[in-house]
Amino acid sequence: MEMKRPGGELASRPLHFIWIADSSGSMGDDGKIQSLNTAIREAVPHMKKVAEDNPNAQVLVRAVKFSSGAQWHISQPTPVADFAWADLTADGETDMGKGLELVAEQLKMPPMSDRALPPVLVLVSDGQPTDDFEGGLKALMEQPWGKKAVRIAISIGQDADPEVLQKFIGNSELKPLAANSPEALVKHIKWASTAVLKSASSPAAGAEVPAGTDTANVPIPIPTAAPATGTAAQTGTQNAGASTGTPAGTQGDPNDQNTIDDVW
Amino acid sequence: MENSNQTEWRIIGETVPGASHIRAGTPNQDSILLVRESSRGLPIVVSIADGHGSAKCFRSDFGSQFAVKKAAQIVGEFLDERRGHFDLAEIENKGKDYLPKEFVKKWRKTVEYHLKNNPFTEDEFKKLEEKSGVGARKLIEENPLLAYGTTSLTVAMEEDFVLYLQLGDGDILNVSAAGEVTKPLPEDARLLANETTSMCLPKAENDFRFSVQKISVEQSHALILLSTDGYLNSFSSEAGFFQAGTDILNMLAADGGHDAVNVNLKAWLEEATQMGSGDDSTVGIIYSPDRLKKSESDAKSEKTSETQTPETTTTTETPPSPETSQAIAALTNSETVTPENMEDVTVTITIKKDKNKVSAKPAAALAQKDADTQQPNSASEKTIDKKSK
Repeated sequence: MEMKRPGGELASRPLHFIWIADSSGSMGDDGKIQSLNTAIREAVPHMKKVAEDNPNAQVLVRAVKFSSGAQWHISQPTPVADFAWADLTADGETDMGKGLELVAEQLKMPPMSDRALPPVLVLVSDGQPTDDFEGGLKALMEQPWGKKAVRIAISIGQDADPEVLQKFIGNSELKPLAANSPEALVKHIKWASTAVLKSASSPAAGAEVPAGTDTANVPIPIPTAAPATGTAAQTGTQNAGASTGTPAGTQGDPNDQNTIDDVW
Repeated sequence: MENSNQTEWRIIGETVPGASHIRAGTPNQDSILLVRESSRGLPIVVSIADGHGSAKCFRSDFGSQFAVKKAAQIVGEFLDERRGHFDLAEIENKGKDYLPKEFVKKWRKTVEYHLKNNPFTEDEFKKLEEKSGVGARKLIEENPLLAYGTTSLTVAMEEDFVLYLQLGDGDILNVSAAGEVTKPLPEDARLLANETTSMCLPKAENDFRFSVQKISVEQSHALILLSTDGYLNSFSSEAGFFQAGTDILNMLAADGGHDAVNVNLKAWLEEATQMGSGDDSTVGIIYSPDRLKKSESDAKSEKTSETQTPETTTTTETPPSPETSQAIAALTNSETVTPENMEDVTVTITIKKDKNKVSAKPAAALAQKDADTQQPNSASEKTIDKKSK
């Protein structure tokens, strides 16, 4: 005898992917903001494809922008299939701390649920914070989901503060990715939105981990040297959470940039 | 024979591999064990376990199987030692420390025994390093138990009380006759973002949640549901999961409800993992037909049915099939039993259809038979049941 299934609505587990983008005045120099808009827009179809590969994760994308103050640029957690990037414009200061505070507010439970997969936060900036960055980071890390989030940082140009971005990442084995050209930015954005997203939405990300045995819940792929043409970054299979260190010639390796001319 | 004044309790359970596990070609790492005392009908012990999916826990299917067997054995023995003079305060005081400690000790011993007979292979390490990097091997070499990491949830039902023992994620729900759902154990704030406390961690005995709940006429549950987090996480909200408890209660209360739930549970779990979490999903149900709200006609109908097939019998009304006999033999192979398992207490492995009950010695039923085999035997009772129909 077949019976109606018991219980309420079934749903795949939400995976929140949040861009935290610098839209300060300096991002208007040398076409940086246009490059960022282009890079994210080009990455979106790849994100959609990655999301399709795991039907048990529902990828929801949104974006925060920070300049003089911070606000949600795309406020609704949007299913990646429906997501479209809206161009940022550059103006004002670099209030990164306020950007992190906004994210922290949304990572509280509720609105987050405890059945979510660890969120992915991608911070992109070209400068030094002009506000209380430490306060914003503290607010973020006070939230259990902020602490458990996969945090990736991309610096644009020479003026970004790697130390600040490293603090945001909070994992010494994972370094900020330096983008000194539009091509490098495309490559790094694509890596964050495909390789990282793929790992974060994979069964491995949903797999139980004995508490305290890993510094990160999600096995983060280490980017390997990729062609300068901006094709899909090859990814290693290193677990950033394990004590593997970063293999030579991979993440953060200057060789990674050698084939791309610095513009910024 | 069961005491005619005793409340009747029945059990149903099922485990299915996760949809994402099937896609990835990984085994079901959950286990379930349903145990019932043959001569008294009580206690009923239901134990489920969720072997961790982390690549480092590459033998967690074994770990979860050892967990359900050891938990059921230790809880059963603990209660048997006190039978006839149950003192709930003493059970609570003694149990909260003794049970976790003894369970962890026995589980570790079983894992060590398995490991001694089945050392890690280079192939296992190679796969581990491919997935988690070279450092992962070091972690396993430092703490081999990690490879077997698992959660554990156990409920033991006696006439006057229920004992709950849980380590790690997963849920136990109480459902009243009116359909009200509560949790007998407190929440554990550490269980977030797939991190869980685990049998494989040092000091695991300190991370258990434990409770003893008195059953009274005024305060009684009609149904207790145990589930691994793969089922809970398949619902869009906790309310939807609670609703499953209430819905199952109502289904069981209907005419022919037991068989209907028993037959459909596997398909429900499969649908849940496909549409939901993708994780292995396991559910164990203990319920009292006497306490379900029934319409008069349902009650009459069920009474007639019970007259025809009394559930209190401890004899096998229909001989087990060759497959069933074979599976029971595999579970009861005393040659591989270690001295620690040799206590002689009779239990029944309940094979879903009560008329197919088969008695076996716990030393055998709960033995670490699989400790020296290569393939785990998760939810073996289910296998027996399916084949015995």
